[in-house]
Amino acid sequence: MSGAEWQLVGFSLRMALASLLLVFPVGLALAWCLARKHWPGKALVETVVSLPLVLPPVVTGLVLLQLFGRRGPVGSWLHHTFNLEVVFTWRAVVVALATMSLPLFVRAARTAFEEVDVKFEQLARTLGAGEWRVFFTITLPLAKRGVLAGTLLAFARALGEFGATIMVAGNLPGRTTTLPVAIYQAVENGEDAHAWLLAGVSAIIAFAAVFVSEQLLRRSK
Amino acid sequence: MNNAFLTATFRKRFPGGPEIVADALQVGGGITVLFGASGSGKTTLLRCLAGLEIPDEGEITFAGEIWFGQRGLRNRKPGATLLPARLRGVGFVPQDYALFPHLTVAGNVGYGLQALPAAESAARVLETLRWLGLTGLEHRRPGELSGGQQQRVALARAVVRRPKLLLLDEPLAALDTPTRLRLRGELRQLLRGLGLPTLLVTHDRFEALALGDQMVVMAEGRIQQSGPVTEVFNRPANLAVAHIAGTETVLPASVVKVVDGIVTVAVGDVKLVAVAPDFPAHATAAHVCIRADDVILVADVLPPASARNRFSATVVAVERDGPLLRVELDCGFLLKALLTPQAAAEMELQPRAAVGVLIKAPHIHLIPR
Amino acid sequence: MKIKHVLASLFAGAAILFAAPSGIHAADVSVFAAASLTDALKQIAADYEKASGDKIIFNFAASGTLARQIEAGAPADVFFAADETKADALEKKGLLVSGTRKSPLGNSLVIVTSAEAAAVHSPADLTNAAIQHLALGEVQTVPCGTYAKAYLEKTSLWPAVEAKVVPCESVRAVLAAVASGNVDAGFVYKTDAAISKKVKVAYEVPAAETPGISYPLALLKDAPQPDAAKKFIAYLDSAAATTVFKQFGFIVLSSAPAK
Repeated sequence: MSGAEWQLVGFSLRMALASLLLVFPVGLALAWCLARKHWPGKALVETVVSLPLVLPPVVTGLVLLQLFGRRGPVGSWLHHTFNLEVVFTWRAVVVALATMSLPLFVRAARTAFEEVDVKFEQLARTLGAGEWRVFFTITLPLAKRGVLAGTLLAFARALGEFGATIMVAGNLPGRTTTLPVAIYQAVENGEDAHAWLLAGVSAIIAFAAVFVSEQLLRRSK
Repeated sequence: MNNAFLTATFRKRFPGGPEIVADALQVGGGITVLFGASGSGKTTLLRCLAGLEIPDEGEITFAGEIWFGQRGLRNRKPGATLLPARLRGVGFVPQDYALFPHLTVAGNVGYGLQALPAAESAARVLETLRWLGLTGLEHRRPGELSGGQQQRVALARAVVRRPKLLLLDEPLAALDTPTRLRLRGELRQLLRGLGLPTLLVTHDRFEALALGDQMVVMAEGRIQQSGPVTEVFNRPANLAVAHIAGTETVLPASVVKVVDGIVTVAVGDVKLVAVAPDFPAHATAAHVCIRADDVILVADVLPPASARNRFSATVVAVERDGPLLRVELDCGFLLKALLTPQAAAEMELQPRAAVGVLIKAPHIHLIPR
Repeated sequence: MKIKHVLASLFAGAAILFAAPSGIHAADVSVFAAASLTDALKQIAADYEKASGDKIIFNFAASGTLARQIEAGAPADVFFAADETKADALEKKGLLVSGTRKSPLGNSLVIVTSAEAAAVHSPADLTNAAIQHLALGEVQTVPCGTYAKAYLEKTSLWPAVEAKVVPCESVRAVLAAVASGNVDAGFVYKTDAAISKKVKVAYEVPAAETPGISYPLALLKDAPQPDAAKKFIAYLDSAAATTVFKQFGFIVLSSAPAK
């Protein structure tokens, strides 16, 4: 593998990790609310969160393009307030990866939280702990395995994300080209050997992530 | 009680389930036992006091502080007060201890001390562990402890914060019988040593007798009787309490006469004399409650004695009840007595033997019908 | 309803769907054509279908994508690309019917800008900081992108704008990107710019400076409907067809065979 190829893998890994930084706080909050709270419209939230799992990724990409494009509600606000561009930059990659991998993370984390017996949380409250303290010292540590498994799944999904990414970030070599996009481009250009090499790297990383994730989920039962 | 710390009157209904009604529950200094059969609502009541359940309506106050407010139907109604669990200063020990599995013993016990500086909290933890005989176990995980050790860690965790009120749910129920018996005495010492107002839930009569100063009896979701422990056992206010308290013999009887607080009733052909100054004059029937340990057996020929109730009986069955023997007698009605094995041997008690029965009038307890 | 009855009905339904004939025409001619030809060819085909009774089925995409699909065995009758090199590649692999190849059309390059973009009066303006994103067809598969890059290199502007380039998968994708406002400017054909009202034509590359843009047209070797295809290819030469091409802004070259 050449230097350019290693750079590509490095870029993809960095983008996937950056997307985790977005997914983690949002996903944990969502998973906890879905596991512990009830409110009218909860079913609606559950459905919307699961949508990127079943919608064609390009549809999600389209929605993101509308939102974060220069004329979109979020995109124009970012552009005017911070002079920040999202589409066709690495930021769009992170947003696309985060959106696509969020549902997987939320599912795994929610199940993990639901498996934490509320009696521990209740007892912690009698010992003077407020809700945040209960979450960070009791709920989250007891849900560790499931949350970690969810993180790995989200990471693997982010690494493999294609449809939404190419819609909202394009294929700018060195700046938004991720591993899956590079593979697609290589096939388009007839560079089969190159495509297979990258596909192999992609497969190895995905295999490792899912394997470890499954082990974690199995042992937490 | 005038020196009650906790007063509570509230109702709680679970959807599709029974209603728990606490009416004028009071917990003072000392150990109050909340006594009743399993499923009578004792745990729910305890959890309402701890702040883990919210009553439907009512009031809970502790030393003037309102924990659950007036006419509050669910804490979202304006004007209703709800003090959350973490602000009540309650020490809560559930039946399965709920020790945090991911923390060590020291971590568990010190969990509630996060407001203190680290050094002071560590010192308090060690002191509490030492006082409960748990020194050396600081770094163990709950899974590595015996049942008795777990119970003491749970207790340590609850008391290290110096709570205002201690709530214990069946503290000995999760232990095997020999451990339970051994720890029963220790627990009494520990709790007395702590000196905190304590409400302790149990369904075991002997635990209640051993541990409690005051007793509150619950049956069918309601408080049936409260008072000093011995009084409740010897003077059950109604049949439900009588059954739970385990008065051994409960018989239906018809009232023969009531004169100056002395009541004569007839159980079948046998007349019994009881002391019941408050017995209503117009009652025509009553339940008779006689504790097995109040029944005195004599050899066949009845001597003169001060006991007003003297009659003959035939032994039906003899069986062990722990260190004692339970003797079933046919007196025209079925009567149960508790004897030491030595006494039974001296009298050569066996089925179909004839004996005399003596029961003092004050030991015949009547529940009017 | 029993499960097996449901399954049987499903299978029968699927079988009927798959077996159903696609309609009653004389022949279906499959044409793989460059994206820039979309509107012109659709109109020409509509006229042709009325006259001949055949049906024309189009696959519009970047010429490089089409070539790859044909190499991979996609069933097609006619290849009409925007770049000679794509046709060369197929010819080398023996996938074109010899003697049928010709180059009837040319085009010119224009720079288009989005509604909000800063003004561009000449190619050099593309190097301004105000122009943050420049959409180009993906250089290896989209002829318009190849031509644009060649032009930018010739005018020594390529090093300055290379970092701003947003590759797109076809010339129409370039047009859409500029129209959406997400990129500031792009290179498309004059014929594409004419179609869209949402972009401004900022600059037309003069014919003298344009790299040779030429549209090769050929019959494919493994064509399923070679006779019908030949008839359609002949029609593309007709006065009716060339009028339509001219209307859309294409440059109609002499119909001598290419090369």
